[in-house]
Amino acid sequence: MKLRINGTEYDVAEEPPRTLLWVLHDELGLIGTKYGCGVGICGICTVQIDGEAVRSCVTPLSKVEGEIRTIEGLATVADDGTRVLHPVQQAFLEDQVPQCGWCMSGQMMAAAAFLEQNPTPSEEEIIDAMNRVYCRCGCYHRIKGAVAKAAEQMAVGEGTAV
Amino acid sequence: MSTNQSPQSNVKKWRISRRGFLIGLGATAAVAVGIPLGLPAARRTIANYLASNDPFGGIAAPPTTWFEVTADNRVRFFSPKVEMGQGVHTAFAQIAAEELEVAWQQLEVVQASTAKGPGDAFGTANSNSVSNNFAPIREAAATLREMLRQEAANQLGVPAASLTVAAGRFTATDDPAKTATYGEIVANAAVDSWEVPKEPPTLKPISEFRYVGQSIPRVDFESKIVGEAQFGYDMRLPNMLYGAVARPNTIEGKLTRAAEGEAASGPGVVTVVAQDDFAGVAAESRQQAYAGVAKMELEWEDGRLWQQSELDEIVTVGNGTRVVIQDEGQVDDLLAGDVLTAEFRTPLAAHAHLEPPAALVDVQADKATAWVSTQAAEVVQGTLAKILGMNKDQVEVIPTYLGGGFGRKLDLEAAHEAARLSQAAGRPVHVGWTRTEDMRYGNFRPSTHHVLRGKLDGNGRIQALQHEMASGDVFFGFIPGIAGAFVGADFGAYRGARLEYDSIPNRQMVSYRTPLPVPTGFWRGLGLLAATFAIESFMDDLAHTASIDPLQFRLNQLSQSGTGGRFRRALETVAEMANWGGSLPDGHAHGLAINIDARTVVAQIAEVSLEADQIRVHNVYCAMDPGLVINPDGAIAQAQGCIVMGLSSTLLEEIRVKDGVIEAANFDGYPMLRLKETPELHVQLLQSGEAPFGIGEPPIGPIAAAVGNAIFALTGQRLTRLPLRLG
Repeated sequence: MKLRINGTEYDVAEEPPRTLLWVLHDELGLIGTKYGCGVGICGICTVQIDGEAVRSCVTPLSKVEGEIRTIEGLATVADDGTRVLHPVQQAFLEDQVPQCGWCMSGQMMAAAAFLEQNPTPSEEEIIDAMNRVYCRCGCYHRIKGAVAKAAEQMAVGEGTAV
Repeated sequence: MSTNQSPQSNVKKWRISRRGFLIGLGATAAVAVGIPLGLPAARRTIANYLASNDPFGGIAAPPTTWFEVTADNRVRFFSPKVEMGQGVHTAFAQIAAEELEVAWQQLEVVQASTAKGPGDAFGTANSNSVSNNFAPIREAAATLREMLRQEAANQLGVPAASLTVAAGRFTATDDPAKTATYGEIVANAAVDSWEVPKEPPTLKPISEFRYVGQSIPRVDFESKIVGEAQFGYDMRLPNMLYGAVARPNTIEGKLTRAAEGEAASGPGVVTVVAQDDFAGVAAESRQQAYAGVAKMELEWEDGRLWQQSELDEIVTVGNGTRVVIQDEGQVDDLLAGDVLTAEFRTPLAAHAHLEPPAALVDVQADKATAWVSTQAAEVVQGTLAKILGMNKDQVEVIPTYLGGGFGRKLDLEAAHEAARLSQAAGRPVHVGWTRTEDMRYGNFRPSTHHVLRGKLDGNGRIQALQHEMASGDVFFGFIPGIAGAFVGADFGAYRGARLEYDSIPNRQMVSYRTPLPVPTGFWRGLGLLAATFAIESFMDDLAHTASIDPLQFRLNQLSQSGTGGRFRRALETVAEMANWGGSLPDGHAHGLAINIDARTVVAQIAEVSLEADQIRVHNVYCAMDPGLVINPDGAIAQAQGCIVMGLSSTLLEEIRVKDGVIEAANFDGYPMLRLKETPELHVQLLQSGEAPFGIGEPPIGPIAAAVGNAIFALTGQRLTRLPLRLG
């Protein structure tokens, strides 16, 4: 079957039944999407399908319909070839949010999907949305602040080349 | 700027002219803590060595193993310590750049392996990476700079003393045309061996630091932000397989018979290993490997089916090996009669790093290469050599980025398993544990029991204080030979358990070593969180009995200088930050606690309320004195992370055993703190002195007691067990 991921088409075998996470991470080598619990609790395997945040560890491959976006496709590439970070990535970098970094793909994919749907969130709405993704290093305080900062940056339509 | 090690480079290799040269170590002497008393002198020396905060000292290695200079005028720094979130790659780079005299962008951090870079027998642990290696890295960097200066002088035909250096370039003071970059000097060097100066170079004074003390962004974040950073779980090689291993049903379960059964016929299965003590499968995918294991014929002996109440009974003061760790004054006489007493308990806890244990191992006929998510590469190397029947130097262990470590990722079983399967399959094998495997087959923070007894004089001072602590093992599970023979008490278990209030004239700490049938070991801070919870909760009890404000009561037990002075400063600072004694919203209260660990003093105040009998923490104030700070934002991040992880233990975390099985199989059975429960965090750094102390663990100590003390202030109810639950 065909999968569209970050604008590229991939051919993957339909059988045996398996979840999207392992197709991305092990088969296609898109290692930015991480395993955490395998049962849809911790949220660090979050990717987007047609802009919706989904947990790839409990998403059967057979149920995938639509354009998949992973952390590797969150930044865009400018005409001159430079990488333009998504405002969420830019804010996470500016605020030095990560510690070990293992959960951060899931945090940022969840945050980016959330801000698409709610560009002007209140603090309570950010907490509700981001509460679903675990961080064992305890970066929550900075995650909350960086998501708010990203919302502000998206409101003025900024992206930054690196 | 931080990268995993590349397989090859076009670097001009340095050679050392004098074999065995070691950089002179300027590290401060070990500060001994928790030395068991009553040991013979020789034993005490070793115990002292093991129990000190830096048991193995700094890393002694010539500059040529720390650094490589490339022809394009960049410098590679090989970090012997692993990056698991604590920011050590960045801190080390700041220290190195200072004496190297390079621009920040010229420096690249590369993870050392067991074959490349400075060796590190100790591993990344104990909050001592920076404190132990601040001096060695500065000296190695300065020595390298002076070696380059001498060679630059030779090449430019000017005296070495006439050369100034900036941004990786030497220039003659009286002839600016005579100039050469580090890269040019190395590229043009006629010699292939370099003289290491006999005298250690003079180091610049702290007042001239440009990099140390700055909140420089982390060197590993750009790759982590875009999903390119490689952790142990992410490592890949062409032709690789995935491995899975059979696990027992119970904590004492043992494999008694293993046969292939139908495993080999499973789709994708390449190799089945059925041995006396090991049953595993290597297959084309993880799912096929696990399905293969399920088809093996295995027989198990379950062992005793332990219950939680039995484990609690084991870990009880009075049981096990008793060793007096601290004994000052006349505690036994003074506490003979009717005195204040209290008991506390803390449970088993999981590390729950979000990256489960993982390794990729490629075993070939005469060598093996292992990419491992480990804090202790040399330990893994030794075990793999034994498993594979190779010499150590045939095995290279390359630590990857770690998705959290917290003391769990040492001699990583996933690496042993991948090695056995790779040797059998003749192909590289990756083993990445499932969450359930991690929850049930790892090791845990040991449960503890504490009995505190104290006697007040009539003037608000503690006359005598005793802390007895029983704990499951920490070090003993890993190095039973050394620890058992020489010490008798587990110095990991009682870390943080000594009584540090230095104006209390009579103080005693007694350890009871009570091993558990559940594997227990290192967990961030070791005994610190448990011990500080007990001691600082009891200090509050004593303050209440004496009818003195808990802050003032603590100040009463401290001298003006040394540890007492540092405690005072942290207490007074945190009190000011939180407006201690000021007004709070209705139904809110403050609680205070303090500890010293890895020579760093940390005081915290928690602001707490109850919402429908649920404990709600609104603000945590933290004043931390970690000596000299290398990266303030990084230090603050460590304090924030420690508070969140410690608060998670305070409010939620508990591993329980039922019918011989760890009850939790995933996060649904092991709730942890999330964003919604995370308070506002306020951290202030108190710099002191000219040497950095530990940061990665000390701030995890006070939070449980701070919250418990706030609940006492709010309700009059003293909570004596973690996780805290209102009665």
